[in-house]
Amino acid sequence: MATPETNRPAQPGTGHRLPINVDLLAIGLGLTLAALVRFGVIHQITF
Amino acid sequence: MSTQTIPMPIAADSPSSFAAPPDVTAPLKPASLPAFLPGIALLFTIGLLGKLLEHAFTVLSTEHHLRLPQISYVLWAILLGLMVSNFLGVARIFRPGIATYELWLKLGIVLVGARFLLQDVLHIGGLSLVLVAVELALSLSVMTVLGRIFRLPPKLTSLLAIGSSICGVTAIMAAQGAIDPDEEDTSTAIAAILTLGAIALVTFPAIGHSLHLGQQAYGMWAGLAVDNTAESVATGALYGQDAGRWAILAKTARSSFIGFVVLGYAVYWASRGQAAHVRNKPLFLWQKFPKFILGFLAISVLATAGFFTKGQLNSLASLSQWVFLPAFAGVGLRTNMKDLVGQGWRPLAVGILGEMFIAIITLGLVFWSYNHGVAR
Repeated sequence: MATPETNRPAQPGTGHRLPINVDLLAIGLGLTLAALVRFGVIHQITF
Repeated sequence: MSTQTIPMPIAADSPSSFAAPPDVTAPLKPASLPAFLPGIALLFTIGLLGKLLEHAFTVLSTEHHLRLPQISYVLWAILLGLMVSNFLGVARIFRPGIATYELWLKLGIVLVGARFLLQDVLHIGGLSLVLVAVELALSLSVMTVLGRIFRLPPKLTSLLAIGSSICGVTAIMAAQGAIDPDEEDTSTAIAAILTLGAIALVTFPAIGHSLHLGQQAYGMWAGLAVDNTAESVATGALYGQDAGRWAILAKTARSSFIGFVVLGYAVYWASRGQAAHVRNKPLFLWQKFPKFILGFLAISVLATAGFFTKGQLNSLASLSQWVFLPAFAGVGLRTNMKDLVGQGWRPLAVGILGEMFIAIITLGLVFWSYNHGVAR
């Protein structure tokens, strides 16, 4: 039977995990950067 | 792509931490957020070095008439990362920050939403969903048959099928909690998927050029056929900037299926008494859904609604490319050749045969949709 998630050993290469939601962090940073570009705080970025 | 947490930093307290392959059995200690900074700095340094090398080679070729290969910054970043991780070794202090490559990858995908009008997302994304559905049915079936032929453990076969049909390592990690495989099966499946991603980085652009595929068609193919999101985006970007963004669109459409496939396998293994039952299926689907796709769609909606000027859209697109730099460096840094070759031949054989099948099928699907005017 399945063991509870909290009792699992760490997966190779991943280690333990912080309670930081990467997806929501990416969305938050993305929308913030978009707002900064939209309102002229960041402008004329080239690559 | 639904891994939704950043691995906790490992305390960098060992003076003997300059070992080449990561010691995955070492006990992990929590550390503070600044522990991420060295690795993040390394990611950006390697990415920027890749960009500088591309520029330097271009200048030497055009202004000094030297016959040098034109190597894209994407390939430079991956190669430099590979060299650091495999020849120099990655110090323990850098590892937490290197794991944030996933954040930069997802942030880049969110920002690249500015390059897509919503109608493009609905048309090509909708086409991708149809192609993904066909690809899923075929690849899951073929991987299952191959697993039986090569006598792989059933759960390892399930993991390989999930990883190769949806989005690589993230799908395997998502399935790990649902079907309760052995630790060794999970490690083997991850190593096989990473190996196949590394092979795709080399083979796909070569095949695309030999078939004279257009940017959009190639990008769709890379998004549909390459498993891991990071490798898929990199494989697309190696062919060209447009191919990179079409690969992102196809890959995000493919990733959105992750919950359904993992749920299917969870129900199957629970029915055999070898995994826990899923009590709340809608909640399960929501938990597995890669939510960064919502950010990509939000930026695309804002772009379509005229929220940004043309110059601002170009700035956002440029920002996404800057953010992808550390993600591409991370692809190289986390690829350890010793780990990849030490996994045994049978899982790799199943993976290679299955991936060849998926690559051919998806290439055929893309050709068909472009030759019949389904795509534009």
